Amino acid sequence: MANPLLEAPSKSSPETAIDLSQQASTFITSQSSWLSAIPYPLSLFINTESQEKWQTYENLFLACLRTGDDNTAYACLESLTDRFGKGNDRVVALQGLYKEATAKNESELAEVLREYEEMLKSDPTIFSIRKRRAAVLRSMGKTSDAVTALTNLLDQSPTDAEAWSELGDLYLTQGSYDQAIFSFEEVLLIMPYSWNMQARLGEVLYLASGRTEGGDQMKILSESMRRFCRSLELCDDYLRGHYGLKLVTTRLLEVLSTSKKPQQSSSDPVRGDLAPPSVDAVKKLNELATSKLAEIVRRSNSGEKGWDGYSAAEIIAARELLDRDTQKIER
Amino acid sequence: MAEAQQILRDPALFYWILLPITVVMVLTGILRHYLSTLLQSAPKRQPLAKLREQRSLLRSANLRTNYAQISASAFQKRREWLIENARDGKFLADPDARGKGKPNPMSDPAMMEGMMGMMKGNVAMMVPQSLIMGWINAFFSGYVIMKLPFPLTPQFKQMLQAGVGTRDLDVRWVSSLSWYFLTLFGLQPVYNFILGSNNAANQVTQQMAQSQMGANPMGGAEDPEKLFNAEAENLEVIEHYYILDGVEDRLLERFQGAI
Repeated sequence: MANPLLEAPSKSSPETAIDLSQQASTFITSQSSWLSAIPYPLSLFINTESQEKWQTYENLFLACLRTGDDNTAYACLESLTDRFGKGNDRVVALQGLYKEATAKNESELAEVLREYEEMLKSDPTIFSIRKRRAAVLRSMGKTSDAVTALTNLLDQSPTDAEAWSELGDLYLTQGSYDQAIFSFEEVLLIMPYSWNMQARLGEVLYLASGRTEGGDQMKILSESMRRFCRSLELCDDYLRGHYGLKLVTTRLLEVLSTSKKPQQSSSDPVRGDLAPPSVDAVKKLNELATSKLAEIVRRSNSGEKGWDGYSAAEIIAARELLDRDTQKIER
Repeated sequence: MAEAQQILRDPALFYWILLPITVVMVLTGILRHYLSTLLQSAPKRQPLAKLREQRSLLRSANLRTNYAQISASAFQKRREWLIENARDGKFLADPDARGKGKPNPMSDPAMMEGMMGMMKGNVAMMVPQSLIMGWINAFFSGYVIMKLPFPLTPQFKQMLQAGVGTRDLDVRWVSSLSWYFLTLFGLQPVYNFILGSNNAANQVTQQMAQSQMGANPMGGAEDPEKLFNAEAENLEVIEHYYILDGVEDRLLERFQGAI
C-alpha cells in the first residue's frame, strides 16, 4: 500500500488519521536536521525541497485537525505559511480551515464566514476560499445558501468535479433528485472512469425511483442497475457497487413481477432510452452480487491479504444485507 | 593504430584547466537556477470572465469526448443548451468585442507581460553562456586536457577535439573546448542531485521545453468566438451512444467463470 502520509486525506479512515497525527511531532522534528541548519551561502548548494514534503505537511495538518491536536496542526500550518507565503490560495484555504476547526461557537464560525466574504469581495477568483465558504454555509445548516454559492461557482468554473459532486450531495439532502442526478452526471462527464461516482449516481437513481411509479419507476430502476453494472465493470470488487446492485436488482425483480404491461422489446427511439432488462439477466445479476458480497465479507473478515482495505462499517452493512436475505428464505 | 599515442601532459593542465572549467560550469548552472527563480514573476490571476470563457470551452469539449457516459435525453438537453449559448456568445469574456476578429497581441498588456517574462529567462541563459564561451576561447583554446579511458571511432573527432587542428591525434584525447561542450550538455544529473529534480539550471533542457511549448507565442490566443462556434458545430454532428447499453450482459459475461 502507498504511504499514508502522501495519500489524499479524504480517503483516510479515522484510524489512519489518528495514526498520522501521532506521527506528526516526530515528523516535524525530523525535518529540522543538520542539513537545513547549514549557513547561508552554502545552503544554496543543498536542496531540501520536494513536493512530497509539503504534501506530507498538508496531510498531517488535516489529520491533526481531525483528531483535535490543534497545536501540532498550527505548527504544520506555520511551516506551510512560511514556505508559500500568506497569499497562496491553498495556504489561505488551510488557514481558513484552521479557524473553522478552532471556532468554538456559532458566532465565531459566522466571523470566519464574514472574513471569507471580505476576502472574496476584494478578489473573487480565489476558488479555494469560495469552496470553503460553501462548506461553512453547509455546516452552519444554510443549505440553500450553500447551493447558491456553489451554483455561482460552477457557472464560472464549470469543470470543477469536486464542486459538482458537493452540489449533487446538497441537492440530495434537500430531496431534489433531478438536480442531484444532473450534478452527478456532470461529474461523470469530467471524470468518466470514476467507478465510485458511477455507483453514487446509481444510489441517487435508486432513491429517486421511490418517488415514481409504473413505467417510469422501471426505467429509473433499470438505469440505476446499469449504473451499478458500469461501476463494477470499472472496478471488480467495489463493495458499494455490489451492495447497490443487490438492492436494486431485488427491487427491480419485484417491480418486474408485478407489472402487467408486456415488456417493450426494443428501446424507445424517440426518447432514446434503453429498454428495461430481461428478468433473466436481472436474476443473474442479483445472484452475482450476492455471491460477490458473500465472498468479500468472508475474505475480509478472515483478513486475507489484498482484501483488507474495506471499511469495517461497510462490511457490517453488507453482512446485514446478506443476513436479511437468508432470513427471508428460512421463512 | 598499433600502439597508443603517448603525449606527455603537464599535470598542471588538470588543475588549471579541467577542474576550473568543470567547477565554473557547475557554479553557473546553480547561479542560473537561482537567477531564474528570482526573475520569475508569479503567474497573474486571470479575470473571472476570462476564466469562465476558458472553462466553458473545456466543458463543452468534455461533453464532446465523454458524452457516452450520460443518457441520450440528458445529452440532448446539454447539447442544445451549450450550442445555443455558444452561438449567442453567452460564454464570451468580452461580448462586446464579438466579430472584431483577433486582437493584436502587442496591445494586450497581459501578453506583453508574458513575453517580458520569457525574455528575462532567455537573457538569464544567454549572457552567462556567451561569457563562459568567450572566456574559454580566450584562455584555454587549443589545449588537449585529458584522455578518455576507452577507445572511440574517428567520427567522434569533431565532438571531442574542437579547437585542436591535428589530423592524426587519437580520438581519445579531449580538448578544452570540447570538454566545455560535454559539461554543458551533461551536467543535468549533477544539478538534479544538488538542486532537486525541477531545477532551472540547464539551459538545453529549457530550450527544448520552450520549443515544445508552441511554435508561435506571438500568435497568441485564437479568437474565442470562433473556437466556440467550432465547438458548437462539433457537438452538433455527434451521434450519441450510451455506455450503459448492454452493460449488464458485458458484466455477466465477464463474471461468468467467477460465479
